[in-house]
Amino acid sequence: MTAIRRVLFNLFAWTVVLAVAFPLFWMIVTSVKPQSELFRRPPTFLPETVTFEHYWTLLTRTGFLDYFRNSVILSVATTLTVVAIATLGAYSLVRFRYRGRESLAFLVLFTYLLPSVVLIIPLYLMLVTLGVSNTIFSLVIAYTTFALPYALWLLRSFMAGIPEDLESAALVDGASRMGAFRDIILPQLLPGIISTALFTFILSWNEYLYALVLVNSDAARPLTTGVMSMLISAFNIEWSLLMAASVMMSVPLIVAFAFLQSYLTSGFGAGGVKG
Amino acid sequence: MAAPRQTALERQYSLLGLMLIAPTVLVFCAVIVYPLVSAIYLSLFSVFTPTLQGGWVGLENYRSLLGSGEFWVSLRNNLVWTAGTLALQVLFGVGMALVLHQNLWFRSLARSLILFPYFVSTVVAVLVWKWVFNDLYGILNHVMMAAGIIDWPVDYLGTMPNAMISIILVGAWKYFPFVVIAVLARLQTIPEPLYEAARIDGAGPVARFFDITLPQLREVLVVIVLLRAIWDFKEFDLIYLMTGGGPVIATQTLPLLVYKEAFALNRMGMAAAYAVVMMAIMLVFMVLYIRRTRERRP
Repeated sequence: MTAIRRVLFNLFAWTVVLAVAFPLFWMIVTSVKPQSELFRRPPTFLPETVTFEHYWTLLTRTGFLDYFRNSVILSVATTLTVVAIATLGAYSLVRFRYRGRESLAFLVLFTYLLPSVVLIIPLYLMLVTLGVSNTIFSLVIAYTTFALPYALWLLRSFMAGIPEDLESAALVDGASRMGAFRDIILPQLLPGIISTALFTFILSWNEYLYALVLVNSDAARPLTTGVMSMLISAFNIEWSLLMAASVMMSVPLIVAFAFLQSYLTSGFGAGGVKG
Repeated sequence: MAAPRQTALERQYSLLGLMLIAPTVLVFCAVIVYPLVSAIYLSLFSVFTPTLQGGWVGLENYRSLLGSGEFWVSLRNNLVWTAGTLALQVLFGVGMALVLHQNLWFRSLARSLILFPYFVSTVVAVLVWKWVFNDLYGILNHVMMAAGIIDWPVDYLGTMPNAMISIILVGAWKYFPFVVIAVLARLQTIPEPLYEAARIDGAGPVARFFDITLPQLREVLVVIVLLRAIWDFKEFDLIYLMTGGGPVIATQTLPLLVYKEAFALNRMGMAAAYAVVMMAIMLVFMVLYIRRTRERRP
């Protein structure tokens, strides 16, 4: 009796899971179908012939590799900048006492919730005035607006989870504050830093609006706007090509995701939900 | 002798603390506080985007904003979108979290598959869904017609109310994993004895859910709803890429209106005014959320 119920429950649960995952499955299937099979009626759920011609076209005949390179530079630069600043900032916010500390924490949380469309107009004006618009650098500046509050908030909760005793012990033993930070705090914070870095990387990798507004040359365009421009510029939409681009674009995310498995419950969810 | 030395050390420490936070504060002022203030200031001007020339108009932007039908239509769309997608995210998210909390075959694989929509880029999600929704070759129309639900291919994104329903569903699909992660984390901390006691008292699964699980989840759900309400309200990418606000302006929300004013109609000042009003509306949720998080901190 219970065995049958267990099987039924599993069947039901997996049906739902596969339904949710179906668009992703469909993306992969479409990307390896030859053009002739794509428009066949009725459609084939598994490709009869598997071809990688669309991937080849994507890499050799479109700007995909340039966009990919831009996205990597952009996301890595944003992540390194933001995590470095936020680690020091989080240490200060959690372990030091000074006036204005609480208001600052409040400001961080507030900016974490701020809509990008409010900031984008003045940022656009600012970057145009500075003469840096249309560069990857300008996007790094713009991405800081959402990535820094996010990383700071996340690192702050990781930092708060490190017991104070060890640091105090090191201080009693004569270590300087920064010495204790380097030798005691940093090694313990490392898992937190890694997962914050991965989440920040994912956020930057997926960003669209700033890239749309601030960059309109292929030399600096990241993947998000680059791939969308392939959709708009194509005379008749080559869905297989776009699906191949989507798959390739998701590969770094899958890698980051695999690393993050163990941190999932303390990442995206906890950053916002547990104060 | 000890007391003054202590304060000297403390003073030295707070100085170090200020030095450590200084880069954060500088960056914050440059890229967030300054743009925020200048957005409000800009909303009192009329600025032509390509030349960036313009003049002071005072509150004129706000007056014409409140008098324009487009603002109210966009606000209504924004509320419909937020309420619709949020409700589905929470319902489906809690349901899925309950399922994934059980002993499922290949549970970690199921969890990864469920979480993936949240991590994938909105651009990828939109491309895939546009392909699924495609009126001629889309798989959805084919399956629906094969199942006999519809006789004729449906235009999912070009007509109303289909377009609004479609973006609400795609939004729910993309963002419900957030609810799953948060609820799952909370479910794992509900003490098992609570359930055992209820089972001894003869409570069935439904009663156990309403008497134990739901009250335990209440607090985390309030936070989730506030947070997701804020994020859904300001969503730009998904709606812009799915429908572009169309047909005409039937799915145009406030973020899309701001973008359109600033970069398509070239009225920067007006766009800033829309952005400020939008932020004022969101401020209600933000204050509620921030209060909530501060209360819960010991």
